[in-house]
Amino acid sequence: MSLLQWKPQYALGIPSVDHEHREMIGMINCIYDQIGHGANADAIERGLGEIHAGIAAHFALEERHMREAAYQEYEAHKEQHEQLLDEIRDLMDMMVESPEAGRERLRKSLSDWFSVHFATFDARLHDRLGDHDS
Amino acid sequence: MPDPLQRAGQRLLQPLRAILDRGFGADLNPFNHLGALTIYFFWIVLVSGIWLFIFFRTSVDGAYSSVEYLTHEQWYLGGVMRSLHRYASDAAIITLVVHVACEFVYNRYRGPRWFSWVTGVPLMWLVIPLGITGYWLVWDQLAWYVALTSAELLDAVPIFTVSMAGNFLSDEALSDRFFTLMAFLHLIGLPLFLVFGIWLHVFRLNGPRINPPRALMASSLVAMVTLSLIFPAVSQGPVDMTRVPETLGLDWFYLPVYPLAALWSPGGVWTLVCGFSLLLCILPWLPPGGARPAARVDLDNCNGCSRCADDCPFGAITMEPRSDGKSYEIEAVVDPSLCVSCGLCTGSCPTATPFRRQTDLVPGIDQPELTSATLRAQIMEASQALRGTNRILVFGCADDPSWRRQRKRLADAETGVVDIYCMGHLPPSFVDFVLSRDLADGVVLAGCPGGNCHFRYGAQWTSERLAGTRDPRLRKRVDTTRLALTWQQPWASRSNLRAVIDDLRSTLSRRSKGETKSVARSPHRWGRWLLVAFAYAAFLAPVGVFSVWPRYGLIETGQAMVSISFSFAGERVGECRQLTQDELNALPPNMRKPLDCPRERRPIRVLLTADGQPLYDATLPPAGLWNDGATDVYQRIPVKAGEVELFVGVNARGDAEGFDHMLTRTLDLAPGRHVVVEFDDVGQSFFFRTE
Repeated sequence: MSLLQWKPQYALGIPSVDHEHREMIGMINCIYDQIGHGANADAIERGLGEIHAGIAAHFALEERHMREAAYQEYEAHKEQHEQLLDEIRDLMDMMVESPEAGRERLRKSLSDWFSVHFATFDARLHDRLGDHDS
Repeated sequence: MPDPLQRAGQRLLQPLRAILDRGFGADLNPFNHLGALTIYFFWIVLVSGIWLFIFFRTSVDGAYSSVEYLTHEQWYLGGVMRSLHRYASDAAIITLVVHVACEFVYNRYRGPRWFSWVTGVPLMWLVIPLGITGYWLVWDQLAWYVALTSAELLDAVPIFTVSMAGNFLSDEALSDRFFTLMAFLHLIGLPLFLVFGIWLHVFRLNGPRINPPRALMASSLVAMVTLSLIFPAVSQGPVDMTRVPETLGLDWFYLPVYPLAALWSPGGVWTLVCGFSLLLCILPWLPPGGARPAARVDLDNCNGCSRCADDCPFGAITMEPRSDGKSYEIEAVVDPSLCVSCGLCTGSCPTATPFRRQTDLVPGIDQPELTSATLRAQIMEASQALRGTNRILVFGCADDPSWRRQRKRLADAETGVVDIYCMGHLPPSFVDFVLSRDLADGVVLAGCPGGNCHFRYGAQWTSERLAGTRDPRLRKRVDTTRLALTWQQPWASRSNLRAVIDDLRSTLSRRSKGETKSVARSPHRWGRWLLVAFAYAAFLAPVGVFSVWPRYGLIETGQAMVSISFSFAGERVGECRQLTQDELNALPPNMRKPLDCPRERRPIRVLLTADGQPLYDATLPPAGLWNDGATDVYQRIPVKAGEVELFVGVNARGDAEGFDHMLTRTLDLAPGRHVVVEFDDVGQSFFFRTE
């Protein structure tokens, strides 16, 4: 059973952002499986690197949409993005310095990355952008 | 070919820049805002010019007196405005020339940058007639000289048949209408072209800097007002065409062509101007060429976030509809004819992170000859060679000659060097990578000082990215005390890169010993203010001085001037022939002219002597494409003052046998006296205009 599953209500109506959200779920599930199968620290670090680059690009795209829609809570959302990226970077460092602790923390925070990020902010953006879509 | 010239120029400018860096700080260094300063000075000229025009009377009689009125009667505002008008125009010439010189010296005119360079050439020349028409409007003795010699310059252009200079030898020929024309040119015509030209000049740039920083605007205005109060601009006496001023205070910023035309010839001046313009226009394509290939987009890694398009200083990246069928709306597209390969796009790409991952490091947009993967490998290689506890990696701009000179000397056991295209080429994540993966203990970014990025915005945007105010942001946890940006330290220009490295190293070693206090090296505040004041004085003193000095001598002491100016038709080449009645009948009714005369005329010979010595002896061709016009005669000749017998004669066949019209007169020419030899068409006789 995968950690996360795509749900229709996740769809923002912006094809590119929805596409990347699906990809993100795929990547998070992938690394979750790796931890479950006891993959070595090196593989997990690489997986995290992949997620970090992917999410950084995804946030950049999302921020462009927010700016174009003159989204009022841009700054707060942007700050959340930077925090999440920093968190992933911290985990990447942990996987190098103390892999076991890193693995543990990663397992705990993995599911939050997508769901918390999505529920708190993207949902609001969803409403906001929805108005503009029609 | 221009290489040695550029190197010499850089050596000349570098110390100047360094001094100004200390005073103004790198961000406010006027050298980094020359183009914007020039435009700003024109704003001052525009505002003061509107004031002047309110009180200006566009007429022969009113021009001089109205300018005198506003200079002396309302000197506290009008006089200052007039002086500001002059000095801001003169200052603009200095900033403009240094601007062009800097762009040349720092090689910022090649490749896609040719457009700004070439459109700048007519802009540069446009400024000169603006200054000339301005000096003309004042209608003082300098204005008269300017009018006369400008007309002489235009007469040298072969498209004009009738001499214009002759119009400025007596008051009779000059009308108020002429001042309306000059005012139009000076106030509307030329400025309109100037504004359009400036727009074209910056048209291709992304985020052109039109305004200098406020601090520079304010301080330069204060400096110019000060100069205006100390040394107000004044007129040089009313025009009296029967007298020639011995010397005139010439504005050497705008009017040096006139002495040059006297030294060479008007034709020589035109050749120089055209030749120099042509050279400037082809300069971008002269060897050595060899540009790097344009940035390349990798669609598999591009999601259309647009950061690269926002950051490209040359507008080379546009976001276009997706072409690969992926679920994205848009993609980045590079126009190779606009791309200067500065790498700023790669620095802005969120996918350009060097941390290990499952796939290869291929960012959405990359530099074909220095890919991010190669850059990563070079960093690893440089890092592996480092030993010690205070290892520092220095990043420098590959194209910069001063970096190329220094990079070998800098490298040692504790210091590694890495080439990048521009500071903005380095994504912030690479700095994070170096420090967090312990590839070095400190990082020095050796970028161009202040706003003087060889490309545009490289240093500024790197500062902002590292400070977390521009995307992509440096991770917050990165210890920025391990980072030194040369361009942010006024005391440390790139020429003393070693000092920056040593400074960072001593900070690192103090930290490793547990000391936290760092010694900030900032120049004394008063010292800085003094430097700024001195810099403005050094800039504006020449403005004030060379706007009237050295005085230019029109005639030598004890000389008078004789001008000869008239129009005379030479004889026709053949005899006129009476047409027979039959011939006339054969012609259409409206063309039946009984006399058939050949149109072509002979040249005329003119001789002017003083006490039997020839002053002017010339055989001149008729005007017109068909050689059918009257011949225009115009010449200015200085003569020795005193009593002199003047003889003038003209021969309508262009031969040396006698004269058809002549006149001899003895005149007592006082020094500075101006006499014009003219020909009365109606009375068919010469006369000397002495008043």
